[in-house]
Order: sequence, then C-alpha cells, then structure tokens
Amino acid sequence: MAVVEEPGKPRNWQERLAIIRDRLYDRLFHNYVWRSIFRSGYPNTPRNQMLVVATNVFLHLHPTRIHRTHVKITHTYCLGGLSFFMFIVLTVTGVLLMFYYVPDVNRAWQDIAALETNVRFGLLMRNLHRWAAHGMVILVFLHMMRVFYTGAYKPPREFNWVVGVVLLFLTLLMSFTGYLLPWDQLAVWAITVGHGIGGSTPYLGDEVQQVLFGGFEIGQGALIRFYTLHVLGLPLLAAIMMAVHFWRIRRDGGLARPL
Amino acid sequence: MLVWPDLLFPEFISACLFLLTFIILSVFVNAPLLNRANVSITPNPSKAPWYFLNLQELLLHMDKAWAGVLLPGIFLAFLAIIPYIDRSNEGQGVWFGTRYSARITSVTAIYSMAVTWLLVLFDAGKFERLTRFFPTCDEEQPHHWPPCLVGDTGLEGLRELQTRMRFSIGDFDWPQDWRFPLPKLGGFSELRFKNLHLWGDMNINVPAVMVEQVLPLLIIVGLALLIIYVLFRIGWVRTTRDVMIVMFTGAMASYLALTIIGSFFRGQGQELVPPTDIRVDCGTIPTPPGCP
Ligand code: HEM
Repeated sequence: MAVVEEPGKPRNWQERLAIIRDRLYDRLFHNYVWRSIFRSGYPNTPRNQMLVVATNVFLHLHPTRIHRTHVKITHTYCLGGLSFFMFIVLTVTGVLLMFYYVPDVNRAWQDIAALETNVRFGLLMRNLHRWAAHGMVILVFLHMMRVFYTGAYKPPREFNWVVGVVLLFLTLLMSFTGYLLPWDQLAVWAITVGHGIGGSTPYLGDEVQQVLFGGFEIGQGALIRFYTLHVLGLPLLAAIMMAVHFWRIRRDGGLARPL
Repeated sequence: MLVWPDLLFPEFISACLFLLTFIILSVFVNAPLLNRANVSITPNPSKAPWYFLNLQELLLHMDKAWAGVLLPGIFLAFLAIIPYIDRSNEGQGVWFGTRYSARITSVTAIYSMAVTWLLVLFDAGKFERLTRFFPTCDEEQPHHWPPCLVGDTGLEGLRELQTRMRFSIGDFDWPQDWRFPLPKLGGFSELRFKNLHLWGDMNINVPAVMVEQVLPLLIIVGLALLIIYVLFRIGWVRTTRDVMIVMFTGAMASYLALTIIGSFFRGQGQELVPPTDIRVDCGTIPTPPGCP
C-alpha cells in the first residue's frame, strides 16, 4: 500500500490530494473491522488472485484458471451464469414477497393487491419477481441451446447435460406453480388448463389431479400445494441440482473445448 | 487465463446490466393482476402460461393424452438421452463445430416452423379448397364409393376425416361400422388397474384413433424422417451428431412456432385470428362492457 513515507510538506495541490486519498484508503480498508472480514487486501498478483478464487466461499465455485476461449463472451454469452443470477434475484425478491402473502383462497388476491398499493416498493418487488421469472425460463432455454450447438454435452459431460434437463424441468415447474399464487382470473384459469392436461394422463389422470392439484377443481388444495412447492420444495431441489451442476462442470475439466 | 479478473469482471458486469434492465423494466411495466378469481366466469380465451401454450395448441389438433403428457414426456426423455446416442467427440466445444452444422440448423429451423404453420392452417380449414376434389356425398345412398364429403366444402381439418368423410368397403361404412371389440388375450384381458380393464371390454373406434392418434403421430414422425432423409441425400447430414442437430432444432423450432401461434394467434374460442383481433374478455380491470 502506498503508505506515505516521510510526509514532508506537500508542494502542490495534487500532492495534498494524494495524501488525503491515501489516508482515507487506510482508514477505510486497514482498520480492525475491515481486516476481520477480509484478511488480505486487493489481490494484485496472479498468485494472490488465484488464492482468492480458491479460498473465498462465494468464488470457489469457479476454477482458478480457465481457458482463453471461454473468456470470450460469445462462447457462452454468460447464459448459464445469468440463469443462476436470475435464480438469486428470484430468491431475494421472493422472500420479500412472502412477508406479505398468505396462501389462503380468501386472502391471496387481496394480499397481492395490497402489496401493490400499500407496501413501499411492493409493486416493484412483485414486478421484478415476475419478469425475472419469465427471464429465467427464456435464459435457461437459450443456455440449453448454446450447450447443444457448441456440442458441450459430449463425453465426459453426458451426465451434466442430464442434470441440466432436470433443471430445465424444475425451472418450468417453479414458474408454473408461481403462476397460481396471485389467485386472479389469469392465474386460476391458466392453472385450470394445466389441470385439464394433467387429467388426461393415461390411466393415472385422476391420481395426477388429486396428488398435484389437490382435487378435481382448482381450490385451496391446489393453492397450498403450489405455494409449498413454489417457495420450498422446488427451489430446494433446484439449488441442490445446481450445486451438482456446477460441481460437475469442474470435475469434467471445465467447459468443453475442442480436442 | 485467470478467473480473477478475466472471468469475474465480465460476470459482475453482466449481472449488473441484467439487474439494471430488469429494474427499469419493472418500473415501467407492471405485472398483470386481473380481478379476483371467479369460478363462474371463464375468460375466453383462457390460456396457460406462455411456455405451455405450445401444449395447449397441440391439444387443439390431437388426442389430449398425447399432446399434453406423452409427447412432452417423450421430448424431455429425448433431450436427456441425446448424449448417450451421440457419443462422438467431434465438433466439441465450438459453435457449430461440424462441417455443415450451421446450414443444417438454419434449414431445419425454417422447415420446421413452416411445416408447423402449414399444419395449423390446414386444421383451421384454410386449405379447404385443395380437397374439393372429393365429391359431395349423396345422402340418399346407403353406401359410398369413391370416398366423398358431406357438404360442399373440402376438408377443414384432420378431424373431418372422421366427421364428414364417408366411404364403404362392401357394406362396411366409414365411420360408423369401424368399431371393433378388442380381441381377448386370455388372462391378460382380466388384468385390472383401479376400475379399468387394461385390455378387453373396450371397443376400438378406428376412425377416432386414426384422426386423434395415428395420423397426427405419423405426420410428426414422417415429417421428421423426411427432412433427415433429404439432408442425408444431399450430403449435409453425415453423422449421428448431425441427426441430433436436425431433431433438436426441429423440435425446438416447432415448439417456438406453436408457442407463437398459441400466444398471438388464438382468440376467443381458440379461433385462429390475427394478433390484432385478440381480446381477452371478462375478468380484466376495468371490466369490459357486456361482462357479468
Ligand atoms: C437453472 C438452470 C441452469 C443453470 C443455473 C445452469 C448454469 C450453468 C452454468 C453457470 C454453466 C457454465 C457455463 C455457461 O455459463 O454456459 C453451465 C454449463 C453447462 N450447462 Fe447449465 N445451467 C442450467 C440449465 C442447464 C440445462 C437446461 C442444460 C441442458 C439441458 C444444461 C447443461 C449444461 C452443460 C452440459 C454445461 C457444460 C457446458 C460446457 O462444458 O461448455 N444446463 N450451466
């Protein structure tokens, strides 16, 4: 760090500014509290940069080094990463929405309406949650297409592709279960269409309707099932699958590249 | 290259850009919230979420179980086993790594969307003139040959093969005489699942099975095989990877086309209409005139 040796007298205003800047930097980043959180300063050598990525709990999902071709945006268009980012945005906004929402057919719609008008930033959070959900579905599809057209499912990555297909299915289910929750005309009738489709399962139609939709029409049974799956079951499963997905990318030797 | 900074910074920037875009979008465009759900008012049309509109669209054309459950199931299963069918290493890790893959992809995508559109238009009766060569049935006659159509328009969809077409082989009249009890298969006929006989006790309604299941599936499989065969004959498709590209691209492109049709071209009563004519009626705020 640029600790000023021999302070001396600053000769002009640039030097004066430099001194103030350095003192400020010291105060901010070299104090007891900051040091307790981040043990080292900005990693400015390759060795330290690799160490940071390898030891930081959030960054260690990444390998420490990657191949030159994969840094080009056009190789992945960041699509997998952005799908994951959407998942995070959805988790954060979703938790905030949960504070104001009760999954009861007599309350659900009023709760959403009140959230939009009475809660500060409620409307914004709901909009973000909604658009990010659509965004995630689109991004996951695009990510799958990029993986397919770059031939990245080939050995040894077969199984990670299968994990991906499960994630695609989970993403669709998360979006579908969320669709019912506002309990408005759009929601209930859309899920009614899905309910009809589920009921047409050969031999098991009635069972599907009973187990997944809680009855022969959309009511409280469906709402509580969808709510529980939407806020707990499916995201938990998806998070586990994502952990496997990311782990496998590294076990399989990073992203696919020409042999 | 190092992950810090070469990967982390682009990641960080794209995350910020996306967040910003979504925040701006959310400030200006509100998520829809219609009237409280009301079981006695069915919106017309009522539609599934957009990523399932393709299935809802398929439902209009064929058997419910096939369109809604079996075909999507087969599609997901197909996706999952792609890497186990195509095990070669060629073309790995680069966009369109094999020789003709870019062309195969674009030609298949265009073909698949066009064919999907044509089939949907056919089922909406838009090509009715092409089948006017069938004579009009003379209802006085007990039997018909050659095949004829009731009424003077051509076929307005595949299902009219069952409802409006008449022909007879000997005394055997299509469609009413073409129902057969399932042959008995010994002990297998006694198998029950819940209250249903798995086999037996049932009549097969051949015309219904034909228009709801056999013909639609034959058309789908046939059109897929056709494009694979043509691309093979002109020498573009050479490996398993190429076949996978045709199948994946074809499936995704018709999925997209069906989604677009379902979203933008289905109006009241699921009629095929231009996007400008789509009006969701009751259940919106403010409630349009004429709603209960
Ligand atoms: C919630 C959904 C998903 C998330 C969050 C996700 C995340 C990621 C991320 C971050 C990567 C790193 C490279 C990149 O960004 O492209 C990746 C790679 C990969 N993904 Fe996904 N993914 C998801 C769904 C899928 C789906 C639907 C498939 C395929 C059906 C899939 C198959 C793969 C494969 C095979 C790789 C390795 C690619 C390579 O080696 O180049 N993933 N995924």
